[in-house]
Amino acid sequence: MNVHVAPSHVSTASSGPAVVVSNLTRAYGKRIVIERLNLRIERGEFVALLGESGCGKTTLLRALAGLDPIQGGRITAPRRPAVVFQEHRLLPWDNLWRNVSLGLQLPDAQKRAAEALTEVGLGDRLEDWPRNLSGGQAQRVALARALVQEPELLLLDEPFAALDALTRIRMHALVRELVASHRPGVLLVTHDVDEAIALADRILVMRDGAIAFEHRISDAASVSRAELLAELGVTSSQPLQLSDPEGFHV
Amino acid sequence: MSNIEQTLAAVKFDQAQPAASQRTPAPLGKRSLLAISWLAPAAIVIIWESLARGGWISPQVLPAPSKVVAIAIKLATADSLLNDLGVSLLRAASGFAIGAGLGFALGTLVGFSRIAEAAIDRSVQMIRAIPFLAVLPLVIVWLGVGEAEKIFLVALGVTFPIYINTTLGIRQIDPKLIELGRVQGLGRLELIRRIILPGALPSILTGVRYALASAWLALVVAETIGAQSGIGFLAMDAREFLRTDVIVLTIVIYALIGVAADTIARFLERHLLAWHPNYGGTR
Repeated sequence: MNVHVAPSHVSTASSGPAVVVSNLTRAYGKRIVIERLNLRIERGEFVALLGESGCGKTTLLRALAGLDPIQGGRITAPRRPAVVFQEHRLLPWDNLWRNVSLGLQLPDAQKRAAEALTEVGLGDRLEDWPRNLSGGQAQRVALARALVQEPELLLLDEPFAALDALTRIRMHALVRELVASHRPGVLLVTHDVDEAIALADRILVMRDGAIAFEHRISDAASVSRAELLAELGVTSSQPLQLSDPEGFHV
Repeated sequence: MSNIEQTLAAVKFDQAQPAASQRTPAPLGKRSLLAISWLAPAAIVIIWESLARGGWISPQVLPAPSKVVAIAIKLATADSLLNDLGVSLLRAASGFAIGAGLGFALGTLVGFSRIAEAAIDRSVQMIRAIPFLAVLPLVIVWLGVGEAEKIFLVALGVTFPIYINTTLGIRQIDPKLIELGRVQGLGRLELIRRIILPGALPSILTGVRYALASAWLALVVAETIGAQSGIGFLAMDAREFLRTDVIVLTIVIYALIGVAADTIARFLERHLLAWHPNYGGTR
């Protein structure tokens, strides 16, 4: 019944969905976190998932990653998705290229890892240890490790949340570039409205375990920041403390 | 004028290195400091030698260092010192191999499986509560005073530190890294090889160091009781004839082998844990 078709390497067509979720239900014991959720992400499409803490957005991402069991519905993905977590999760005992090639079952794994590290601007640090990296550099390695798998679905779980504002803006540009060249379907979980607007083709707002609002950036009328904040339950009468607007005029 | 300039330069230097250690910067190089560190031990040996030669210490109590060196050369060339040393090292090595193998196997099993933990861990912890040297009389009743008894005692001393630290090391691995392994599609064996064992290695090597110390203690005790060969036999034999020079020599040999074992452990840590900020040192 609850089939999770993750590691099937059968379909390699360049078009079609990166993932299709139908009637997904996820519960912790008796508490239902996600109820009958439907979602479809195409290859090459960048979807941002916004929501308050505890709305179930990370739970959805973990279910898509195959990390948690689901209690109902179906997730269909042609291949195993790649994940970048909020923490870099680099293995401290492996150098950078060995970290990037983790799980890569190919004879030229080292060469591919080197290429991926070059793509994220760390091609000269292949033999370096993770402990010598800054936060932003470590997260770039994590990105390389995800992309070297050539995923059709890339799951980003607040990967920039722990970075400083300047590094975050640089990471946004890098991610946009990499997604444009590799064209995976992307699901970015974030609580940062500006990040969602800057990166996504489509923005979803999740509330109480369901998708409450959906907006395509390509639509004629661009979505306003205030509109999204209102969907997140922040009305204009409240002072906006989410992010300091001055901080973005770098 | 030049004094002021010097002071200013010193102030600037201080500001440039706020994180420098709080010790006063040594005016001497690394080699001089190394030489200084050997001054006190050398002085002790010289004083000991002159006291012994001047007749202040009876050779029955403590022979001169030169006498110990002389007897070492004599025993090594004309007698069976090297053979005895080889016998002792072989006992230590085989006991260590058996104990470490068993401790690692049990520790891995218990580290991975809750069922194995429930089945094994309590019994192991109960046995561990016994000081392992206390079982010596029982071991002699079981195995006599041959090689088996000595190797058994060394193995017993080695098993527990390795077991405990292996289990601990596996338990302490960040579950987020194991989750990452699953996301990257690692199979069970790959997960163990790439994530779990390297993560547990610092703890396992700590166990190895403890185990070396306790293997050593076990060997000394086992060889002191009813041995026909080995360094401990040499010491007991010398006691019969009041040959304090030979006794001191055996003590020095035990100390040197202890130092060698510790050096090996440090070498392993430096090379296997090069990634670890507390061990590797080199960037």
